[in-house]
Amino acid sequence: MVQGDKATVIFQPSGRRGEVRRGLSIIEASRQIGVDIETLCGEKRVCGKCKVRIEEGFFEKYGITSTEKHAGEWQKEEEKFINAEQREAGYRLGCCAKVEGDLLIFVPEESRAGKQVVSKAARDIHIEWNPAVRYYYVEVSEPTFESPTADLERILEELNKRYGLKDLDIDYVLLKQLPSQLREGSWKVTVAVWMNREIIRVLPGTVEGYYGLAIDVGTTTVAAYLCNLATMEVIDTVSMMNPQCKYGEDVMSRITYHMMHSDGLEKMSDDIIGGLNSLVAQACEATHPPKKKKAANKEKPAQIEEGRAYPCLDHTDIIDMTIVGNTAMHHILLKLNPEYVGVAPFPPVIHKSMDIKARDLGIQINESAYVHVLPNEAGFVGADNVGVLIAEEPYKKHEIQLIIDIGTNGELVLGNKAKLMSSSCATGPAFEGAQLTFGMRAAPGAIERINIDTETHEVDYKVIGRDAWKTYSKPEEMQTKGICGSGILDVLAELYRSGVILKSGRFNPNQKSKRYRINSDNNQPEFVIAWAEETSIGKDIAITQKDVRQIQLAKGALYCGCKLMMRRMGIDKVDKVKIAGAFGTHVDREKALIMGLFPDCEIDKIVSVGNAAGDGARAALLNREKRQEANWVSRNVEYIELTVEKDFQQQFMEAMQIPHMNDQFPHLKGIVPDDILSQ
Amino acid sequence: MGKKELREELLKALSDGVVNFEEEKVKETAQKVLDEGLNAYDAVMNGLAAGMEIVGDLYDKHEYFVPELLMCADALYGGLDILRPHIKMEDLDQRLKGQVVIGTVQGDVHDIGKNLIKMMFEVAGFTVHDLGRDVPLEKFAEEQMRTDSEIVALSAMMTTTMMGMKKVVQMIKEKNPNVAIMLGGAPVTKDVTDLFGADGYAESAGNAVQEAIKMISRLREMQK
Repeated sequence: MVQGDKATVIFQPSGRRGEVRRGLSIIEASRQIGVDIETLCGEKRVCGKCKVRIEEGFFEKYGITSTEKHAGEWQKEEEKFINAEQREAGYRLGCCAKVEGDLLIFVPEESRAGKQVVSKAARDIHIEWNPAVRYYYVEVSEPTFESPTADLERILEELNKRYGLKDLDIDYVLLKQLPSQLREGSWKVTVAVWMNREIIRVLPGTVEGYYGLAIDVGTTTVAAYLCNLATMEVIDTVSMMNPQCKYGEDVMSRITYHMMHSDGLEKMSDDIIGGLNSLVAQACEATHPPKKKKAANKEKPAQIEEGRAYPCLDHTDIIDMTIVGNTAMHHILLKLNPEYVGVAPFPPVIHKSMDIKARDLGIQINESAYVHVLPNEAGFVGADNVGVLIAEEPYKKHEIQLIIDIGTNGELVLGNKAKLMSSSCATGPAFEGAQLTFGMRAAPGAIERINIDTETHEVDYKVIGRDAWKTYSKPEEMQTKGICGSGILDVLAELYRSGVILKSGRFNPNQKSKRYRINSDNNQPEFVIAWAEETSIGKDIAITQKDVRQIQLAKGALYCGCKLMMRRMGIDKVDKVKIAGAFGTHVDREKALIMGLFPDCEIDKIVSVGNAAGDGARAALLNREKRQEANWVSRNVEYIELTVEKDFQQQFMEAMQIPHMNDQFPHLKGIVPDDILSQ
Repeated sequence: MGKKELREELLKALSDGVVNFEEEKVKETAQKVLDEGLNAYDAVMNGLAAGMEIVGDLYDKHEYFVPELLMCADALYGGLDILRPHIKMEDLDQRLKGQVVIGTVQGDVHDIGKNLIKMMFEVAGFTVHDLGRDVPLEKFAEEQMRTDSEIVALSAMMTTTMMGMKKVVQMIKEKNPNVAIMLGGAPVTKDVTDLFGADGYAESAGNAVQEAIKMISRLREMQK
C-alpha cells in the first residue's frame, strides 16, 4: 500500500506495474506505466474500445488490495458499452474510471493495442541515381615545411582538382574530427559531400556503400526504408505504429491535444522523434548478422551468411534522411504550431521543403547529416501527397490520372501534363477500423478478405496471419479478432453484391440466412461475419446497420471528391485510377469499384500503387532533382476545397449510396447480378 | 366525403409523402389543402411535421440514413413553401415557440447537420436566424442581441473548431445569461457541453427540437 497521493497500479496480462498519482484516469495511468490500450476516440468516451476489468481482492503477489471502489465513480457513458453482467464482473472504460486507490487491472485482448502489420513494402519504381550526398575518395600529400597548408584546405584543393567541387564548406562538428581521421587514413580519405556544398563526413581509407533513410510519417503508421545510396538498393523496410496514437487516432485529435495542453506539442514531437530514433536503431540492427554481438567498433567487414551481405551499420553510417507526412504530422514533428492547420481555411506554417541538421531535431543519425523534409501543398494535403506526386509523376503524362490515397484522410489528385489539382476529403478513420463495432487495425487475427455467397449468404473470409480461408480451416484455428481496413472495403461490396443490403445501405427485409438478426442489446439489425467459435474474443463478430452507415459516409466522401474534381476539370471519365495508401496493396480493385469508391471505369484501368508516399520519400533520397521537382509541383498543383462547392451536400448524399444513387456503372455488368445493379 | 375525413386523408398523404420522400405528391397535397380551405398550420404540424417525426424514428433506428433524411427534407420544404404563407397569425401567436440563432462555428465549413437541425426548428414553428457556416464567433452574440432569440445553436464537425464554441458560450452568457445554448456535431458530447458551460446538446436532428423545447420551458420557469 502506497501512502499519500499515489497508488499502485498493475496491468495484466503484461504484469507491468507502477505508482501513479491518484485521480488519473486508467488510460493516463497505462500511458505512464507503458501499457498500450486502444483509445481510438482519444478519450472522448465514445468508442468503447478501452474496456478493462478491475480485479477484486487482496493480491499477495503484489501486496495490494484491488477493488472496484478504487476505480472512481461509474460514469453514464460507460452504460453504452458495458452491460449489467459485465459491470458486475468489474468491467470499466479506461477513459472513465479513475485511479483512486491500488488497482489490479486486466486488459482484455480486444482492448490491447495490437502490434500492427504494415504493408508498406517498397515498390519497384524507376528512379535516376543522383543522391544529395555523394562520397568522394581523395589522396592528399602530407604537409611539409614547403607546403604547410591546413588539413581542410588540402582536401578542398584535391576535391576541386579531381572532381571539380568548388567553394565547399565543412560542418563544424566534423571539423573537430578531421585531423585524426586524415592521419588514421594515412592521408587517404573518403569524403561525403552534401548537395555539392558541404562536407559532412570524412572516413579513413576507401568506403564503398553509404546509406540513407526515407521516412513516411503516417498518422497511424510510420515506415522507414533503408537504402544504399551508392547502389539504390532498398536494404530493409521497418515500420511502427505512430507513438502519437495514444493522443488520439486522427489528425484533428492530435491538433486538439496541442491546443488543450501547453506541453502537448513538445510531448507529441518528442514521441515521434523517439519513434524515428528507434526505427533507425531497428534498421541498423537488421544489418548485423543475427545473434552475433557487434564486433570491435570501427571494423565493418561485409560478412556473408547464406548469400546475404551484412554491412553492419550503426546510426553514424546513416548520412541522409528524407521525410514525408501529412501537414499536421509535418508540423508536429518540427514543433511548428499545428493549430491553424486544423481550422478553415487551414493554412500551413510553411510550404517549401527544408534542410535541417539531424542533431537540431534530435534525430540520431550521423550528427553532421541533414534531414530533408518535403514541401506541403496545403493544410490537408501535405508532404505525403507531394511524395505520391513525385513517385507517380502524373504531370509527365498525357493520360489523365485519378490518384486516391486512402488513409485517415483521403487525398485526391487528378490531372495530367496540362493541369493538376489536389483535394482532400474527410473519410474519417472507418477505413482504418476505428468507429466500427468490431473494427481493428491491420494486426494478426483481423479479417482482411471477405466473400459472401449470393445464393446462401454464407460467409467465407481470411484473417491476417493465416493463409487458409475459413472454409479450409477448423473454427478454432481462425482466432479471429475483428475486421481491418481491406476487410471493411470488402464487406460493403459483398453485402451489396449478395443482396444482404440494399442500394441505400439498409438491410434487405428479405433475408436468407440466420446470420442476419436483430441484436437484442441495441435493437439494431446486424449480419454475423464470424461466429463466436471462430474468434479469440468469445463473441460473434458482426457488421451492424450503424457500421454500414459509417462505411457509407467514408466512401461517399471519396466518391463525391472524385466526382467534383472531375467536374472542375471538365471531364466525365479518367484514363487511369490509382489507389495508394498503406493498405493500397491490399485493395481488391473489383470490390473497390462495386462499393463505389470512385466513379465507374474499366476494371483494367484500376491499379494499386501501394505506399506511393513512401516511394516519393525514397525518390527524393536517391535523386536530388526530385527535391526540386517536389517544390515545383507542390506550388503548381491547384488545391481545391470541396466542401465549399455549392452542391457538395447533394453530391455527397448521392455518393453515399452503393455504388451511387444515380450514376451508372456499366462496368459492373456481369460482376454484380443485374437485379441488384438495377435497384 | 366529409371535411373531417378529407382532413385526415390529406394529413396522411402529407406525412406519407415526407416519409417516402415524394416531393411532388407533397406539393400537390399541400395545394389541395389550400384549395379545400383547410387550416395551413394544422397541415404543417399534423401532416408534414408528423411525417418528419416518423423519419426521425427511422433515422434513430439506422433504417434511414443521411441521403434519405435529406430527400425527406426536400419533400417537406416543398410542402412548407406552399403552406407557410397561409398560416394565420392567431395560430402562431398562440403557440409561438421562440427564436433560434443557428450556425456552424468559425473554421468549420461542414453544414449538413446544421441544415437538418434548422429544418427541425422551422417545422416545429421556431423562427430561425441562420448565420450559415464558418461564422465568426462574435457574430453569434451580435445576432442573439439583435433578435433577442431565446436559443443559440452551434454546430462543429471538427474537434479543432469545437474549441471555438467555448468562447461563444462565454461571450453570450456574459451579456445575457438567460439565453439557452445548444451544441451539436460529431465531436460534441455531454461532457464537452458541461465543460463549455452550454445548456444542452443534441445527438441527432431527431432530439434537437425536444431538447430545445425543454430548455425554453426551463428558461420560462426561471423568468417567472
